[in-house]
Amino acid sequence: MSARYGMVIDLDLCTGCGSCMVACAAENNVPSLPQSTARTGLTPIVVRKVSNKMAGSARRETFIPIMCAHCEHDTPCVKVCPQQAVEVDKETGIVMQMPQRCLGCRYCMTACPYHARYFNWWDPSWPKGMEKSLNPGVAVRMRGVVEKCNMCHARMHSAKEKAAAAGKREIDPADYIPACVEACPTGAIRFGNLADANDPASKAARSPEAFRLLARLGTEPKLYYKSKEAWVRALAESNPAHGADQSQEVQRG
Amino acid sequence: MKFTRRDLLVWGAGAAAGLVVSPVPWKVLDDVSIWSQNWPWIPQPARGPVEVKQSFCTLCPNGCGLRVRMAGGWPVGVAGVSSHPISRGALCPLGFAAHQLNWHPRRLHAAQHHGEPSSLSEAQAAFAKACGEGSIVIIDGYPGRAASSVLKTFAEKQGGTYRVVTSSESRALAPYEAWIDAPSSSLGYDLENAQTVVSFGAPMLDGWGTPGRFTWLWAERAGGMTDPQLRLIQIDSSFSRTAARAWQWVPIRDGSESALASGLARVLLEQKLVPAHGPIPPIALSEVAAQTGLSADAIQDLARTFVSHLPVLAIAGDNDPAIAALNIVLGSVGARGGIVRRSKNAESYVAADADIPNARAVLIDGSVPWDFAPQTEAEVFRFAAWDGGPSQSDWLLPSPGFLEALTDVPTAPTLSVETYAVAPALVRPPSEVMSIEQFLSVAEPTLIPVDKIIHSRCEELFRKHSGTLYGQEKTPVAKIASVQKLEEEFSKGAVWVDEPSPSGSMRCELKEWPAATPASRVESWTTEWPIAVLPPLATKLYIESNLREAPERRNA
Amino acid sequence: MASSVLTDSRWIARGAERTSLSRFLLWLSPWTVLLAIGVYAAGLCLFYGLNQTNMDNRFAFGLWIFLDLGVIALGAGAFFTGFLVYILKRVELKPILNTAVVVGFICYSGAVAILMIDVGQPLRAWFTFWHPNTHSMLTEVTFCISCYLLVLSLEYIPILLRNRQLRKLPSFLVFEHQLHKLVPVFAAVGTLLSFFHQGSLGGLYGVLRGRPFAYRTGFLIWPSTFFLFILSAIASGPSFLMLITATVEKISGRRLVPPEVFRRLGFISGVLLGIYVAAKSIDTLVWLNITSKAEGFAPWQFYSYKPFGTPILFAEIVLLGLVPAFLLTFRKTACHRGWLLTAAAMACGGILLNRFVLTVQTLALPTLPFDEFLQYTPSWQEVASFGGVIAYGVILYSLSFRYLPLFAASKGEDEHVSGN
Repeated sequence: MSARYGMVIDLDLCTGCGSCMVACAAENNVPSLPQSTARTGLTPIVVRKVSNKMAGSARRETFIPIMCAHCEHDTPCVKVCPQQAVEVDKETGIVMQMPQRCLGCRYCMTACPYHARYFNWWDPSWPKGMEKSLNPGVAVRMRGVVEKCNMCHARMHSAKEKAAAAGKREIDPADYIPACVEACPTGAIRFGNLADANDPASKAARSPEAFRLLARLGTEPKLYYKSKEAWVRALAESNPAHGADQSQEVQRG
Repeated sequence: MKFTRRDLLVWGAGAAAGLVVSPVPWKVLDDVSIWSQNWPWIPQPARGPVEVKQSFCTLCPNGCGLRVRMAGGWPVGVAGVSSHPISRGALCPLGFAAHQLNWHPRRLHAAQHHGEPSSLSEAQAAFAKACGEGSIVIIDGYPGRAASSVLKTFAEKQGGTYRVVTSSESRALAPYEAWIDAPSSSLGYDLENAQTVVSFGAPMLDGWGTPGRFTWLWAERAGGMTDPQLRLIQIDSSFSRTAARAWQWVPIRDGSESALASGLARVLLEQKLVPAHGPIPPIALSEVAAQTGLSADAIQDLARTFVSHLPVLAIAGDNDPAIAALNIVLGSVGARGGIVRRSKNAESYVAADADIPNARAVLIDGSVPWDFAPQTEAEVFRFAAWDGGPSQSDWLLPSPGFLEALTDVPTAPTLSVETYAVAPALVRPPSEVMSIEQFLSVAEPTLIPVDKIIHSRCEELFRKHSGTLYGQEKTPVAKIASVQKLEEEFSKGAVWVDEPSPSGSMRCELKEWPAATPASRVESWTTEWPIAVLPPLATKLYIESNLREAPERRNA
Repeated sequence: MASSVLTDSRWIARGAERTSLSRFLLWLSPWTVLLAIGVYAAGLCLFYGLNQTNMDNRFAFGLWIFLDLGVIALGAGAFFTGFLVYILKRVELKPILNTAVVVGFICYSGAVAILMIDVGQPLRAWFTFWHPNTHSMLTEVTFCISCYLLVLSLEYIPILLRNRQLRKLPSFLVFEHQLHKLVPVFAAVGTLLSFFHQGSLGGLYGVLRGRPFAYRTGFLIWPSTFFLFILSAIASGPSFLMLITATVEKISGRRLVPPEVFRRLGFISGVLLGIYVAAKSIDTLVWLNITSKAEGFAPWQFYSYKPFGTPILFAEIVLLGLVPAFLLTFRKTACHRGWLLTAAAMACGGILLNRFVLTVQTLALPTLPFDEFLQYTPSWQEVASFGGVIAYGVILYSLSFRYLPLFAASKGEDEHVSGN
């Protein structure tokens, strides 16, 4: 009965609005610390603006949401954690991080090919009273531990409870939708069980326009992307630009 | 036996060795590791039964459907409502953090007079005095609500004036008033039936209109397709998000949208690409080319593209008569897939000017965007839930915040059909806040309260027997048993959608081509977000990532 | 002897000449200040959190990890000398044994201290022992370093107990004597532990599939960096010992070990360095032509980011690898103290450069196609903590040198004689 939950993001539909980033942070009690920066902030999902580096009418841009790819094979972070604070959940294929066991050594952050792991450089804090707006289903982490996307595992718990209350063994897929999937205003993020051949996400992952970042590393990530644009697929397969090619691309927009 | 220094050394060494092999250090380690998971300064979420309620976001006039998870009586998460016929489950990016707003550090908890703490009763006394001494100008940022009706009634009774501040999408409809016999508030964009949408700088995919409405339309009919059903042409001076995703991006120089619209109309009329005959815009094609940076050939190609996949609808970023006139030339006004008239009895509003010369006092509703700064000698009473920084207000009065007051949701500015919904309050407001209607009712006790107005509106809707109610299921209103049933559905988050008006019912006369007006630039949802403060989670988008620029005019 | 009122001559070994207490305290003062600053900086990090450093989500490892790896590599002289003396019976190296133990103890205790600050939740450090992950190189490192620190402590205690006053206590004397009998066992255990953790420190980076610059294939579960780290550690350890001893001789103004010891250490270091250079060159060629290409990466692209260009590779292998190997083994230069020490410094520098390349350069290089090259500069707290460790080392070594018989070859020093 084990599922392999994954995501397929249609890059042709992503408008880079950032709704997924805010919804994810709200669902997972991620604090917003004004002293943090793009390199020290906590963004379990982050949307990167990417271009083909041309100007004028030849310019193309797309937005690539990056989050934990929930690698299936030789999962890098699971292999390197010295105290097994992260493991692959056999039932769902979700790579689960246990912040209560994390030592904060950050070895997993060095190992992650997607840089999808974030460290709590500060203690979380919210303005007075705002803790009443925190999601009770998700534990608040403390300073000094690593966190990342866990496919809104709390929502899966709720779905399981709901199914159990109705006497069912399997959850209703409509009850388990991660926050980013729900928030996207174009339906660019599709979520589902990749092990189920009839699941729309599974079908999308097998389409010819689907690809994965750094697939050649052999970690079997379950985060797929889709695009009809050849330049996007070519970019995804390419190596990082030469040092000389690194233009002063302003990523803000 | 003497206890010497040597004995001390020996005993000390032995004790140290013994301690290491005892359970003491391990127990201490175990304890501290438990403490390290539960430091008292780590905030814990509220506890309590979790329930899910529905309401509507009324932070801006788009009125997105809201599904709110509540724990212990407080909202702990918001999401869209996928069955909402317009927003279809979407919210704007910041809407997902709206439940944090009521605890924002800049939340107003007490009345202020010239920056000093004061009280609502003092403000009421001052307001009553002002009412007796001269006329009041009331400014509403979200017209059409039951509360708006209270404001209007008060203004009439007092002998004052009622003015509105509207969004850029509404302002873009203003020019039509000169050519049709209907107020611009009765007009809407029939995007659902358009096949070509030409946006002159309007951020169609990033902050235009109700979140979800056009993004879903575009995703279903155009996203990623080489030959899409819906062609989105973005005419934009920068490579915006919409431009990056559009079927065609037409780069022009900033501020030349009017000129281009005039040039395109000229080409369409002179080359007989459209049934209309005139009036011909007086601007020469070469002049348009010079202003926009496009070649004359490109402009002509563009005009042909417009009419190759009809119906076509041109959308201006703001009040631009030339673009409105272009729609007339294209035959899109009063036609399916174009500018439609959605209701026969819409109200006519007068836009508020910043310059207010002859009032005794100005009363500004909390729905008015913070950057509306009145230039006036009058005494300014400003309602707001959040303090957006220095304002020209004499009085700053705390109003209810997010989901703290019962209100209704009139038709959103860009829709092609009339809609209605009721947004129940889900949270008790703090004791020190007062809604503007309660404030006015002290000065004018005969004002009908908001809940009664909503009730009579529901009765009226029920009597009309038209339209569909989108609740748990889609139900025609004609099949609803009673007003009570209708109100019950509304309280659970249902949305009423009227039948579309029959097209062709608008007479449109354009006598001469309008003069060019300088266009104001609309960037994205960040400039459209009307609330004075951003929710703290907004930092994800511009501080903790490089996704967006920080909105300039906000005190975040 | 000194005429100051305050004197500690009864703590100093009979016949050993040491400077006056006041001059010694003067020597210690600047180091104490540095240590105090270091402790303050470390305290800031423990109290306020790791936001006191300039590390971030992309540079999750920074100056401290580089230091840890470097210091442990240089401290390899401890176990290797023990191995040479007790297992391979190279008794001519005995004079340097005690100082090797002290240097090793300083290096490892300093590294562990820095590690305790470097983790986000130091109180949970023991979780690794309770929930070990057999697949993780870091688990291996944690276990072996902890155990080896224990071994070093047990090797240090006998030296400590040979202090003139402490050895007057009969129970301490007996304890020290019994421990001394176990020293060969400690040496063997220490060698085994060190072999593994020196290697695993290299393995830490070699297993990172997500960092193609560092990733290597190897033998079974061990990437080639495992073996290269061991080789480089045992090559640089003796050189580092030479440098320390020479510095101490210079400062104290006396000859502490026979010159033969230097030449022997230098020769061993040089030969091992030569073997290391050969192995590293083969490994680099394999990486450039096979491993990296198999993963789909264009390896020379890694060197296209200024300032981390191919000159660094050249410096690591040739300038600070092959050249000192030659200088240390070639008789004409090896006999000359100046050349010997220069070569030793170059060897240590080369190994430090290698650790730097694997820690800092690996993280600076982009991995995703749209990523950029990143910069990192340590904060003053990081630098100060490092300074504190150096100060701690100098202070502990100075105290050991003053009060303990570190160099048995010195004339008139008390020497432990078996059976006493």
